[in-house]
Amino acid sequence: MSENKASEGWEPRIVAIVCNWCTYAGADLAGISRIQYPPNVRIIRVPCTGRINPFYVVKALQEGVDGVLVSGCHPGECHYITGNLHARRKFAMLKSFLTYIGMEADRTMFTWVSASEGERFAQVIKGVTEAVRALGPATKMVKKI
Amino acid sequence: MESIEKKLREEAKLLLAEKRVDVIVGFEKGTLPLVATPCFIENPDDAEKLVWNACCTQNLAKFVHDVLSQHRASQVRVKPEDRKKKVVGVVGRGCATRSIVLHLQEKQYDRDDVVIIGVPCTGYIDYKKLSGKLGGEEVLDGAAEGDQIKVKTASGEKAIALKDVLAASCLTCRFNNPVISDMMIGDPAPPMDPDHEYDDVNAVEAMSVEERWAFFEKEMDKCIRCYACRQTCPSCYCKTCFVEQSQPRWVGVGEDETDTQVFQIMRMYHMVGRCVDCGSCSSVCPMGVDLRKFLKKLDKDVFELFGNRPGSSLDDQPPLSAYTENDKENFIFNP
Repeated sequence: MSENKASEGWEPRIVAIVCNWCTYAGADLAGISRIQYPPNVRIIRVPCTGRINPFYVVKALQEGVDGVLVSGCHPGECHYITGNLHARRKFAMLKSFLTYIGMEADRTMFTWVSASEGERFAQVIKGVTEAVRALGPATKMVKKI
Repeated sequence: MESIEKKLREEAKLLLAEKRVDVIVGFEKGTLPLVATPCFIENPDDAEKLVWNACCTQNLAKFVHDVLSQHRASQVRVKPEDRKKKVVGVVGRGCATRSIVLHLQEKQYDRDDVVIIGVPCTGYIDYKKLSGKLGGEEVLDGAAEGDQIKVKTASGEKAIALKDVLAASCLTCRFNNPVISDMMIGDPAPPMDPDHEYDDVNAVEAMSVEERWAFFEKEMDKCIRCYACRQTCPSCYCKTCFVEQSQPRWVGVGEDETDTQVFQIMRMYHMVGRCVDCGSCSSVCPMGVDLRKFLKKLDKDVFELFGNRPGSSLDDQPPLSAYTENDKENFIFNP
Protein backbone atom coordinates (compact mmCIF):
# COMPACT_ATOMS: atom_id res chain seq x y z
CA MET A 1 0.00 0.00 0.00
CA SER A 2 2.75 2.41 0.92
CA GLU A 3 4.43 1.79 -2.45
CA ASN A 4 1.34 2.98 -4.23
CA LYS A 5 1.30 6.11 -2.18
CA ALA A 6 4.80 7.10 -3.16
CA SER A 7 4.04 6.71 -6.85
CA GLU A 8 2.85 9.48 -9.15
CA GLY A 9 -0.84 8.88 -8.84
CA TRP A 10 -1.02 9.44 -5.11
CA GLU A 11 -4.18 11.08 -3.93
CA PRO A 12 -4.68 12.12 -0.31
CA ARG A 13 -7.09 10.02 1.69
CA ILE A 14 -8.93 12.07 4.25
CA VAL A 15 -11.35 10.89 6.89
CA ALA A 16 -13.99 13.43 7.84
CA ILE A 17 -15.81 12.75 11.09
CA VAL A 18 -18.86 14.98 10.97
CA CYS A 19 -21.89 15.57 13.13
CA ASN A 20 -25.26 14.42 11.97
CA TRP A 21 -27.09 17.69 12.51
CA CYS A 22 -24.92 20.34 10.90
CA THR A 23 -21.94 19.28 8.84
CA TYR A 24 -23.53 16.11 7.48
CA ALA A 25 -26.54 18.14 6.43
CA GLY A 26 -24.13 20.73 5.03
CA ALA A 27 -22.45 18.02 2.99
CA ASP A 28 -25.87 16.93 1.81
CA LEU A 29 -26.66 20.48 0.76
CA ALA A 30 -23.37 20.70 -1.10
CA GLY A 31 -24.39 17.51 -2.87
CA ILE A 32 -27.90 18.53 -3.87
CA SER A 33 -26.64 21.96 -4.92
CA ARG A 34 -24.17 20.19 -7.23
CA ILE A 35 -21.20 22.04 -5.73
CA GLN A 36 -17.96 20.41 -6.83
CA TYR A 37 -15.43 19.37 -4.21
CA PRO A 38 -12.51 16.93 -4.24
CA PRO A 39 -13.47 13.27 -3.90
CA ASN A 40 -10.67 12.54 -1.43
CA VAL A 41 -12.79 12.62 1.66
CA ARG A 42 -14.51 9.68 3.36
CA ILE A 43 -17.29 10.86 5.60
CA ILE A 44 -18.14 9.19 8.90
CA ARG A 45 -21.34 10.40 10.47
CA VAL A 46 -21.61 10.63 14.24
CA PRO A 47 -24.42 12.08 16.36
CA CYS A 48 -22.37 14.99 17.65
CA THR A 49 -18.77 16.15 17.75
CA GLY A 50 -18.97 15.75 21.52
CA ARG A 51 -19.42 12.05 20.88
CA ILE A 52 -16.11 11.72 19.07
CA ASN A 53 -13.48 10.02 21.12
CA PRO A 54 -10.17 11.73 20.33
CA PHE A 55 -8.91 8.18 19.97
CA TYR A 56 -10.75 8.02 16.62
CA VAL A 57 -8.46 10.71 15.27
CA VAL A 58 -5.28 9.07 16.52
CA LYS A 59 -6.46 5.65 15.37
CA ALA A 60 -7.29 6.95 11.90
CA LEU A 61 -3.79 8.39 11.63
CA GLN A 62 -2.32 5.07 12.76
CA GLU A 63 -4.36 3.20 10.16
CA GLY A 64 -2.74 5.32 7.50
CA VAL A 65 -5.05 8.12 6.47
CA ASP A 66 -3.30 11.24 5.29
CA GLY A 67 -5.55 13.67 7.10
CA VAL A 68 -8.43 13.79 9.54
CA LEU A 69 -11.12 16.42 9.53
CA VAL A 70 -13.55 16.85 12.38
CA SER A 71 -16.48 19.13 11.82
CA GLY A 72 -19.64 19.96 13.69
CA CYS A 73 -22.14 22.69 14.40
CA HIS A 74 -20.96 26.21 15.09
CA PRO A 75 -20.52 26.88 18.80
CA GLY A 76 -23.86 27.73 20.29
CA GLU A 77 -25.79 25.88 17.61
CA CYS A 78 -25.30 22.34 18.84
CA HIS A 79 -28.34 20.08 18.59
CA TYR A 80 -27.43 18.79 22.05
CA ILE A 81 -26.79 22.33 23.35
CA THR A 82 -23.20 21.92 24.56
CA GLY A 83 -21.71 18.91 22.73
CA ASN A 84 -19.51 20.97 20.45
CA LEU A 85 -18.39 23.24 23.30
CA HIS A 86 -17.02 20.21 25.10
CA ALA A 87 -15.54 18.96 21.84
CA ARG A 88 -13.83 22.30 21.27
CA ARG A 89 -11.86 21.90 24.49
CA LYS A 90 -10.97 18.29 23.74
CA PHE A 91 -9.76 19.00 20.23
CA ALA A 92 -7.87 22.15 21.16
CA MET A 93 -5.84 19.95 23.49
CA LEU A 94 -5.54 17.09 21.00
CA LYS A 95 -4.34 19.23 18.12
CA SER A 96 -1.84 21.04 20.30
CA PHE A 97 -0.53 17.76 21.71
CA LEU A 98 -0.23 16.02 18.34
CA THR A 99 1.62 19.03 16.97
CA TYR A 100 3.89 19.02 20.00
CA ILE A 101 4.95 15.41 19.47
CA GLY A 102 5.78 16.18 15.87
CA MET A 103 2.73 15.38 13.76
CA GLU A 104 2.20 18.02 11.08
CA ALA A 105 -0.48 20.45 12.24
CA ASP A 106 -2.40 20.19 8.97
CA ARG A 107 -3.00 16.45 9.29
CA THR A 108 -5.64 17.05 11.90
CA MET A 109 -8.18 19.73 11.11
CA PHE A 110 -11.15 20.96 13.05
CA THR A 111 -13.86 23.21 11.78
CA TRP A 112 -17.53 24.13 12.00
CA VAL A 113 -19.95 23.85 9.10
CA SER A 114 -23.65 24.43 9.60
CA ALA A 115 -26.48 22.74 7.70
CA SER A 116 -27.00 25.76 5.46
CA GLU A 117 -23.36 26.13 4.50
CA GLY A 118 -23.04 23.79 1.53
CA GLU A 119 -20.66 26.22 -0.11
CA ARG A 120 -18.50 26.39 3.00
CA PHE A 121 -18.42 22.60 3.21
CA ALA A 122 -17.01 22.42 -0.31
CA GLN A 123 -14.47 25.13 0.55
CA VAL A 124 -13.40 23.27 3.68
CA ILE A 125 -12.91 20.00 1.82
CA LYS A 126 -10.98 21.83 -0.88
CA GLY A 127 -8.82 23.58 1.69
CA VAL A 128 -8.10 20.44 3.68
CA THR A 129 -7.33 18.39 0.58
CA GLU A 130 -4.90 21.00 -0.67
CA ALA A 131 -3.21 21.30 2.72
CA VAL A 132 -2.81 17.53 3.00
CA ARG A 133 -1.65 17.23 -0.60
CA ALA A 134 1.05 19.76 0.17
CA LEU A 135 2.23 17.60 3.08
CA GLY A 136 2.42 14.44 1.02
CA PRO A 137 1.63 10.90 2.14
CA ALA A 138 1.48 10.23 5.87
CA THR A 139 4.53 8.43 7.18
CA LYS A 140 4.52 9.14 10.89
CA MET A 141 2.84 6.67 13.19
CA VAL A 142 1.46 4.66 10.25
CA LYS A 143 1.09 0.99 11.04
CA LYS A 144 2.62 -1.24 8.43
CA ILE A 145 0.35 -4.13 7.70
CA MET B 1 12.79 15.41 59.13
CA GLU B 2 13.26 13.39 62.34
CA SER B 3 10.65 15.39 64.20
CA ILE B 4 8.19 15.12 61.31
CA GLU B 5 8.60 11.36 61.33
CA LYS B 6 8.09 11.22 65.09
CA LYS B 7 4.97 13.37 64.98
CA LEU B 8 3.67 11.42 62.02
CA ARG B 9 3.93 8.16 63.94
CA GLU B 10 2.21 9.63 66.99
CA GLU B 11 -0.57 11.07 64.89
CA ALA B 12 -1.03 7.83 62.95
CA LYS B 13 -1.09 5.79 66.14
CA LEU B 14 -3.70 8.08 67.65
CA LEU B 15 -5.90 7.95 64.55
CA LEU B 16 -5.81 4.16 64.51
CA ALA B 17 -6.27 3.80 68.28
CA GLU B 18 -9.27 6.13 68.27
CA LYS B 19 -10.64 4.19 65.30
CA ARG B 20 -10.99 7.35 63.27
CA VAL B 21 -9.38 5.51 60.39
CA ASP B 22 -9.34 1.82 59.46
CA VAL B 23 -6.06 1.83 57.65
CA ILE B 24 -3.23 4.24 57.13
CA VAL B 25 -1.42 4.40 53.84
CA GLY B 26 2.12 5.56 54.27
CA PHE B 27 5.71 4.64 53.60
CA GLU B 28 7.85 2.13 55.45
CA LYS B 29 11.50 1.29 55.11
CA GLY B 30 12.03 -0.82 52.03
CA THR B 31 14.00 -4.03 51.79
CA LEU B 32 16.72 -2.32 49.80
CA PRO B 33 18.84 0.43 51.33
CA LEU B 34 17.72 4.01 50.63
CA VAL B 35 14.31 2.85 49.42
CA ALA B 36 10.90 3.36 50.99
CA THR B 37 7.89 1.26 50.05
CA PRO B 38 4.21 2.10 50.42
CA CYS B 39 2.64 0.26 53.35
CA PHE B 40 -0.80 -0.27 54.84
CA ILE B 41 -1.02 -0.01 58.60
CA GLU B 42 -4.06 -1.28 60.49
CA ASN B 43 -2.62 -1.92 63.93
CA PRO B 44 -1.78 1.13 66.12
CA ASP B 45 1.44 -0.54 67.27
CA ASP B 46 2.67 -0.79 63.71
CA ALA B 47 2.57 2.98 63.32
CA GLU B 48 6.22 2.95 64.39
CA LYS B 49 7.05 1.55 60.96
CA LEU B 50 6.11 4.77 59.17
CA VAL B 51 8.91 6.77 57.64
CA TRP B 52 9.00 10.12 55.91
CA ASN B 53 12.09 11.12 53.97
CA ALA B 54 13.41 11.81 50.51
CA CYS B 55 13.14 8.12 49.55
CA CYS B 56 9.33 8.25 49.54
CA THR B 57 8.68 8.45 45.82
CA GLN B 58 5.26 7.17 44.84
CA ASN B 59 1.99 9.04 44.88
CA LEU B 60 -0.05 7.43 47.66
CA ALA B 61 -3.39 8.65 46.31
CA LYS B 62 -3.26 5.63 44.01
CA PHE B 63 -3.51 3.31 47.00
CA VAL B 64 -6.26 5.36 48.63
CA HIS B 65 -8.30 4.86 45.49
CA ASP B 66 -7.42 1.15 45.33
CA VAL B 67 -8.40 0.50 48.94
CA LEU B 68 -11.64 2.44 48.75
CA SER B 69 -12.76 1.04 45.40
CA GLN B 70 -12.02 -2.52 46.51
CA HIS B 71 -13.94 -1.90 49.71
CA ARG B 72 -16.87 -0.50 47.77
CA ALA B 73 -16.86 -3.56 45.51
CA SER B 74 -16.87 -5.83 48.55
CA GLN B 75 -19.97 -4.09 49.91
CA VAL B 76 -22.09 -4.43 46.79
CA ARG B 77 -23.75 -7.68 47.89
CA VAL B 78 -24.20 -6.59 51.50
CA LYS B 79 -27.62 -5.42 52.66
CA PRO B 80 -27.63 -1.60 52.78
CA GLU B 81 -28.17 -1.49 56.55
CA ASP B 82 -25.20 -3.83 57.12
CA ARG B 83 -22.74 -1.98 54.92
CA LYS B 84 -19.57 -0.88 56.61
CA LYS B 85 -17.77 2.34 56.01
CA LYS B 86 -14.06 2.32 55.54
CA VAL B 87 -11.96 5.37 56.25
CA VAL B 88 -8.48 5.57 54.88
CA GLY B 89 -5.80 7.71 56.42
CA VAL B 90 -3.07 8.83 54.11
CA VAL B 91 0.25 10.52 54.53
CA GLY B 92 -0.22 13.22 51.95
CA ARG B 93 2.25 15.64 50.49
CA GLY B 94 1.41 18.23 47.84
CA CYS B 95 1.07 15.97 44.83
CA ALA B 96 -0.80 13.20 46.66
CA THR B 97 -3.35 15.66 48.03
CA ARG B 98 -3.80 17.14 44.57
CA SER B 99 -4.56 13.66 43.28
CA ILE B 100 -7.06 13.19 46.10
CA VAL B 101 -8.69 16.48 45.11
CA LEU B 102 -8.96 15.15 41.56
CA HIS B 103 -10.53 11.92 42.84
CA LEU B 104 -13.02 13.96 44.84
CA GLN B 105 -13.82 16.14 41.85
CA GLU B 106 -14.38 13.01 39.81
CA LYS B 107 -16.67 11.66 42.55
CA GLN B 108 -14.54 8.60 43.20
CA TYR B 109 -15.14 8.74 46.95
CA ASP B 110 -16.34 11.18 49.55
CA ARG B 111 -14.30 13.64 51.52
CA ASP B 112 -15.13 11.82 54.77
CA ASP B 113 -13.79 8.53 53.38
CA VAL B 114 -10.28 9.85 53.66
CA VAL B 115 -8.28 11.47 56.43
CA ILE B 116 -5.28 13.34 55.14
CA ILE B 117 -2.23 13.71 57.33
CA GLY B 118 -0.55 16.58 55.57
CA VAL B 119 3.23 16.60 55.45
CA PRO B 120 5.55 19.19 53.94
CA CYS B 121 7.71 17.90 51.11
CA THR B 122 11.17 18.90 50.02
CA GLY B 123 11.26 16.51 47.10
CA TYR B 124 12.23 12.92 46.52
CA ILE B 125 15.21 11.15 45.03
CA ASP B 126 15.38 10.36 41.36
CA TYR B 127 17.12 6.98 41.48
CA LYS B 128 18.32 7.28 37.92
CA LYS B 129 20.12 10.49 38.82
CA LEU B 130 21.49 8.92 41.99
CA SER B 131 22.79 5.93 40.10
CA GLY B 132 24.46 8.32 37.67
CA LYS B 133 26.14 10.13 40.55
CA LEU B 134 27.44 6.85 41.89
CA GLY B 135 28.68 5.73 38.50
CA GLY B 136 26.25 2.83 38.51
CA GLU B 137 27.63 1.36 41.73
CA GLU B 138 25.25 -0.55 43.95
CA VAL B 139 24.03 1.18 47.09
CA LEU B 140 25.03 -0.97 50.06
CA ASP B 141 23.69 1.29 52.74
CA GLY B 142 22.33 4.79 52.90
CA ALA B 143 20.28 7.32 54.73
CA ALA B 144 18.58 10.52 53.75
CA GLU B 145 19.31 13.15 56.37
CA GLY B 146 17.95 16.61 55.72
CA ASP B 147 19.49 17.98 52.54
CA GLN B 148 22.25 15.36 52.47
CA ILE B 149 22.16 11.75 51.39
CA LYS B 150 24.77 9.47 52.87
CA VAL B 151 25.50 6.55 50.62
CA LYS B 152 27.81 3.61 51.14
CA THR B 153 29.01 1.75 48.10
CA ALA B 154 31.75 -0.81 47.47
CA SER B 155 34.21 2.03 46.85
CA GLY B 156 33.50 3.83 50.10
CA GLU B 157 31.12 6.31 51.65
CA LYS B 158 29.85 9.39 49.94
CA ALA B 159 27.67 12.34 50.88
CA ILE B 160 25.52 13.71 48.11
CA ALA B 161 23.52 16.92 48.23
CA LEU B 162 19.82 16.14 47.98
CA LYS B 163 19.20 18.90 45.45
CA ASP B 164 21.58 17.22 42.98
CA VAL B 165 19.52 14.06 42.85
CA LEU B 166 16.00 15.44 43.24
CA ALA B 167 13.44 14.30 40.71
CA ALA B 168 12.77 16.78 37.92
CA SER B 169 9.13 17.14 38.97
CA CYS B 170 10.21 18.13 42.49
CA LEU B 171 12.73 20.74 41.40
CA THR B 172 10.04 22.89 39.81
CA CYS B 173 7.17 21.84 42.08
CA ARG B 174 4.51 24.46 42.63
CA PHE B 175 2.54 22.63 45.31
CA ASN B 176 5.00 21.04 47.70
CA ASN B 177 2.66 21.58 50.63
CA PRO B 178 -0.71 19.83 50.86
CA VAL B 179 -3.60 21.62 49.16
CA ILE B 180 -6.09 19.98 51.52
CA SER B 181 -5.44 18.20 54.79
CA ASP B 182 -7.18 17.27 58.02
CA MET B 183 -4.07 17.84 60.07
CA MET B 184 -0.72 19.27 59.23
CA ILE B 185 2.55 17.95 60.54
CA GLY B 186 5.59 20.18 60.65
CA ASP B 187 6.03 23.62 59.16
CA PRO B 188 5.24 24.27 55.51
CA ALA B 189 8.17 23.45 53.25
CA PRO B 190 10.01 26.28 51.52
CA PRO B 191 8.92 26.85 47.91
CA MET B 192 10.73 25.15 45.07
CA ASP B 193 11.31 26.76 41.70
CA PRO B 194 7.97 26.81 39.83
CA ASP B 195 9.00 29.68 37.56
CA HIS B 196 11.06 27.28 35.48
CA GLU B 197 8.52 24.46 35.36
CA TYR B 198 7.94 24.80 31.61
CA ASP B 199 11.58 25.19 30.57
CA ASP B 200 11.73 21.63 29.24
CA VAL B 201 8.50 22.06 27.31
CA ASN B 202 9.62 25.35 25.83
CA ALA B 203 12.84 23.71 24.68
CA VAL B 204 10.90 20.99 22.86
CA GLU B 205 8.48 23.51 21.41
CA ALA B 206 11.39 25.45 19.96
CA MET B 207 12.44 22.42 17.88
CA SER B 208 11.24 21.88 14.33
CA VAL B 209 8.42 19.44 13.57
CA GLU B 210 10.83 16.77 12.35
CA GLU B 211 13.07 17.15 15.39
CA ARG B 212 10.09 16.87 17.69
CA TRP B 213 8.90 13.74 15.94
CA ALA B 214 12.40 12.25 16.11
CA PHE B 215 12.47 13.04 19.81
CA PHE B 216 9.07 11.47 20.39
CA GLU B 217 10.01 8.39 18.38
CA LYS B 218 13.27 8.02 20.28
CA GLU B 219 11.54 8.21 23.64
CA MET B 220 8.79 5.81 22.62
CA ASP B 221 11.31 3.33 21.21
CA LYS B 222 12.47 2.77 24.77
CA CYS B 223 9.01 1.84 25.97
CA ILE B 224 8.48 -1.88 26.53
CA ARG B 225 4.81 -1.41 27.40
CA CYS B 226 5.09 -2.87 30.88
CA TYR B 227 2.30 -0.42 31.86
CA ALA B 228 4.13 0.49 35.07
CA CYS B 229 3.32 4.16 34.38
CA ARG B 230 -0.35 3.31 34.26
CA GLN B 231 -0.21 1.14 37.36
CA THR B 232 1.37 3.85 39.46
CA CYS B 233 -0.65 6.77 38.15
CA PRO B 234 -3.36 7.89 40.58
CA SER B 235 -5.41 9.25 37.69
CA CYS B 236 -5.36 5.88 35.88
CA TYR B 237 -8.08 4.07 37.74
CA CYS B 238 -10.34 2.71 35.00
CA LYS B 239 -11.54 -0.79 35.77
CA THR B 240 -10.72 -1.81 32.23
CA CYS B 241 -7.99 0.20 30.59
CA PHE B 242 -8.31 0.85 26.86
CA VAL B 243 -5.18 -1.20 26.20
CA GLU B 244 -6.89 -4.29 27.56
CA GLN B 245 -10.21 -3.74 25.88
CA SER B 246 -10.91 -6.26 23.17
CA GLN B 247 -14.12 -4.81 21.77
CA PRO B 248 -13.02 -2.56 20.23
CA ARG B 249 -9.35 -3.41 20.40
CA TRP B 250 -7.91 0.07 20.44
CA VAL B 251 -4.27 -0.87 20.60
CA GLY B 252 -2.60 -3.85 18.98
CA VAL B 253 -0.76 -6.22 21.29
CA GLY B 254 2.18 -6.94 19.03
CA GLU B 255 5.53 -5.27 19.06
CA ASP B 256 4.62 -2.78 16.36
CA GLU B 257 6.15 0.56 17.27
CA THR B 258 3.09 2.52 16.25
CA ASP B 259 1.01 0.61 18.80
CA THR B 260 3.37 1.75 21.52
CA GLN B 261 3.17 5.31 20.27
CA VAL B 262 -0.61 5.20 20.15
CA PHE B 263 -0.73 3.73 23.65
CA GLN B 264 1.45 6.47 25.02
CA ILE B 265 -0.34 9.25 23.17
CA MET B 266 -3.70 8.11 24.42
CA ARG B 267 -2.61 7.44 27.97
CA MET B 268 -1.08 10.87 28.11
CA TYR B 269 -4.09 12.45 26.46
CA HIS B 270 -6.23 10.94 29.20
CA MET B 271 -4.17 13.03 31.60
CA VAL B 272 -5.48 16.32 30.23
CA GLY B 273 -6.32 18.35 33.31
CA ARG B 274 -5.71 15.30 35.49
CA CYS B 275 -1.93 15.11 35.74
CA VAL B 276 -0.58 16.59 38.96
CA ASP B 277 3.04 16.17 37.86
CA CYS B 278 3.92 13.91 40.78
CA GLY B 279 6.54 12.26 38.60
CA SER B 280 5.52 8.73 39.64
CA CYS B 281 5.31 7.50 36.05
CA SER B 282 8.81 8.67 35.25
CA SER B 283 10.21 7.32 38.50
CA VAL B 284 8.80 3.81 38.04
CA CYS B 285 9.66 3.56 34.34
CA PRO B 286 12.26 0.81 33.99
CA MET B 287 13.40 2.11 30.62
CA GLY B 288 13.74 5.76 31.56
CA VAL B 289 11.15 7.14 29.13
CA ASP B 290 10.94 10.87 29.70
CA LEU B 291 7.16 11.00 30.04
CA ARG B 292 7.21 14.28 31.90
CA LYS B 293 8.33 16.21 28.82
CA PHE B 294 5.02 15.33 27.20
CA LEU B 295 2.75 15.42 30.23
CA LYS B 296 4.06 18.82 31.19
CA LYS B 297 2.98 20.13 27.79
CA LEU B 298 -0.60 19.11 28.55
CA ASP B 299 -0.29 20.83 31.90
CA LYS B 300 0.95 23.97 30.21
CA ASP B 301 -1.83 23.94 27.62
CA VAL B 302 -4.51 23.35 30.22
CA PHE B 303 -3.27 26.32 32.18
CA GLU B 304 -2.92 28.57 29.15
CA LEU B 305 -6.24 27.63 27.56
CA PHE B 306 -8.47 27.03 30.56
CA GLY B 307 -6.56 28.60 33.45
CA ASN B 308 -6.74 25.38 35.40
CA ARG B 309 -4.10 23.84 37.63
CA PRO B 310 -5.23 20.23 38.11
CA GLY B 311 -6.17 19.36 41.66
CA SER B 312 -5.28 22.74 43.11
CA SER B 313 -8.75 23.48 44.46
CA LEU B 314 -11.82 21.46 45.39
CA ASP B 315 -14.06 24.05 43.73
CA ASP B 316 -12.58 23.59 40.27
CA GLN B 317 -14.26 21.46 37.67
CA PRO B 318 -12.19 19.08 35.57
CA PRO B 319 -11.38 21.21 32.51
CA LEU B 320 -12.64 18.71 29.95
CA SER B 321 -16.02 18.35 31.63
CA ALA B 322 -16.53 22.08 31.60
CA TYR B 323 -16.66 24.74 28.89
CA THR B 324 -17.08 28.43 28.45
CA GLU B 325 -18.64 30.11 25.47
CA ASN B 326 -15.46 31.98 24.64
CA ASP B 327 -12.91 29.21 24.79
CA LYS B 328 -10.00 29.83 22.44
CA GLU B 329 -10.75 28.91 18.86
CA ASN B 330 -7.54 29.71 17.03
CA PHE B 331 -7.03 26.07 16.04
CA ILE B 332 -10.23 26.02 13.97
CA PHE B 333 -9.64 25.71 10.24
CA ASN B 334 -11.25 28.39 8.11
CA PRO B 335 -10.79 28.08 4.37
